[in-house]
Amino acid sequence: MIRVERLQKRFGAVQAVDDVGFEARDGAITGLLGPNGAGKTTTLRMLYGVMRPDAGRIQIDDVDAVASPQQAQSRLGVLPDGFGLYPRLTAREHIHYFGELHGISGDRLRERTEELLQLLDMRAIADRRTGGFSHGERTKVAIARALVHGPRNVLLDEPTNGLDVMSTRAVRTIVRRLRESGHCILFSSHVMQEVSALCDAIVVIAGGKVVARGTPDELRRQTGCSNLEDAFVALAGVELVSEE
Amino acid sequence: MAGRSVHQTLIVIRKELRDSLRDRRALFSIAFSIVVGPVLIGFMMNRIADRQREAENVTIPVVGQQHAPAFVEWLRQQAGVTVIEGPSRPEQAVRDGMHDVVVVIADDYAEKFSESRPATIKVVADTSRNSARPSIERVRRLLQRYSAEIGALRLISRGVSPAGVTPLKLEEIEISTAQQRAAQVLSFIPMFIILAAFVGGMSIATDSTAGERERGSLEALLVNPVPRMALVAGKCIAAALIAMTAVVLTTVLCANIPRFLPLQDMGIRFRIGRDEFIGVLAAMLPMCLFSASLQASVATLARSFKEAQSYMGVLVLLPMLPGMISAVSTLGQEPWMYLVPVLGQHVLVMGVLGGRPEALWAFVVAGLIAALSAALLIRTMTTLFKIERIIFGR
Repeated sequence: MIRVERLQKRFGAVQAVDDVGFEARDGAITGLLGPNGAGKTTTLRMLYGVMRPDAGRIQIDDVDAVASPQQAQSRLGVLPDGFGLYPRLTAREHIHYFGELHGISGDRLRERTEELLQLLDMRAIADRRTGGFSHGERTKVAIARALVHGPRNVLLDEPTNGLDVMSTRAVRTIVRRLRESGHCILFSSHVMQEVSALCDAIVVIAGGKVVARGTPDELRRQTGCSNLEDAFVALAGVELVSEE
Repeated sequence: MAGRSVHQTLIVIRKELRDSLRDRRALFSIAFSIVVGPVLIGFMMNRIADRQREAENVTIPVVGQQHAPAFVEWLRQQAGVTVIEGPSRPEQAVRDGMHDVVVVIADDYAEKFSESRPATIKVVADTSRNSARPSIERVRRLLQRYSAEIGALRLISRGVSPAGVTPLKLEEIEISTAQQRAAQVLSFIPMFIILAAFVGGMSIATDSTAGERERGSLEALLVNPVPRMALVAGKCIAAALIAMTAVVLTTVLCANIPRFLPLQDMGIRFRIGRDEFIGVLAAMLPMCLFSASLQASVATLARSFKEAQSYMGVLVLLPMLPGMISAVSTLGQEPWMYLVPVLGQHVLVMGVLGGRPEALWAFVVAGLIAALSAALLIRTMTTLFKIERIIFGR
């Protein structure tokens, strides 16, 4: 469970995040939808503890993430924006490195790694260096290392950005499986189709503020648009880039 | 909690070592740092030895050999001397560098010689040329010896003991220039050992900081519940371990220089035995911690990987400073020098290799200062790793 209240973050003259608040439930996929530069990534960065909010509260399960960021991080699996890999390490070594940093070792780490390789269908590439991987393969490695410690809450910052259709489907399948096993998933995207296809609840962000929240149906009703994309444009007040 | 941090530091060290040992560019710079000193020193020593040999084996062009066949014959019999026909324009030949020295026998040599008057032999030489000096010196000594021998014979034939006209007996104790030059070359060894630490750790220190940020893997790393201090310490210690390896290996290579070079023949006392080896490492290993932390901190401050690399180029000049100063003037050994990282180590290694190691307290003080500076740098860098502008690049 993730609860955010009155979050604020300013960069110089720019108020990047302005009074953002929402809740993401366990066993549900919550979409953070907004155009580029709306404040999605900044919000997520504050959630996973690499940026400090100027004001506001973040609660991950029963942990205050602002006061104890490391305790919060133990409960989070994160795919950051523009994640990078170590090109000279293999996929398996990536998973092991992050697992060890989380305090997992020995047989438990080996078993967990096998489980993830299986889940993400990446057995064949497990022991190859990631330097030559395709974008889809690299995304899988990044997701695997984010999940190695079996976190309850999963944050994915634009996970399908730049992926081909097959890889996008693979990522969606993983996200749905995580929901089935009761995880709380927070998922950011600027792509309408992505969010409408996956999410149980949507939080629309524009200009650093939450402009709407609810289920896809609620959003449609709220705006009086039958089409979710029109609803979004009406809410965000900006033309969205429609991909696919 | 502290135990967990130490464990996490070890995990980071292991990962960084594994990562950089697979990096061809890093391996190259490590290998370079190990080999460059010993190879350069070996090369310079070899040149000096060659030149000394060249001076002993001298080729003397002689003009007008027909005027003094006995003299030419005597020259030919001297060890290492080859007599060749002299050039038609001796001065021009020397000026153009065709010959180091040309001997010209005057046309009236035979006449004067038979009358026991001083017969003229000219030595054409350019003493401003350093490389020619040993040959010129050799020729001059040969001529003086011939002159003295003939003089002695003439006195004996007149029934006078040559001893009477030799009031002084000269005994030369030679401090040859070759020896001095060789000693000077060996004095570069401390500089090269310090350089090995800087060049060896350079690649991993930049790659694990500025490189990690540029690849975008830093943000993902920081999402792990690990104290920033553990991450920073792990990266610095990993770089320091590589630097230490470079120092150990380059010292081992330097210790083996006498195996390949005839230092004994040149009359040079140079030895890195077990005690000297331990002395060098005692001075240098704490400094590796300092140099690696310094490089990692500077790379963290750099805006990009490229910028970090150019800063590293400037930092490499640091270990060269004491060496350069001591090459042109005497550096001396003042107690305050132990308080300055790098300079202190230079003085210590100088002392160890010169056979006059400093007192134990000097090693302890210099080591503590280096370790303390490293700890301070790691703390500063930990603070840097909390600044958002630095984590995400500017």
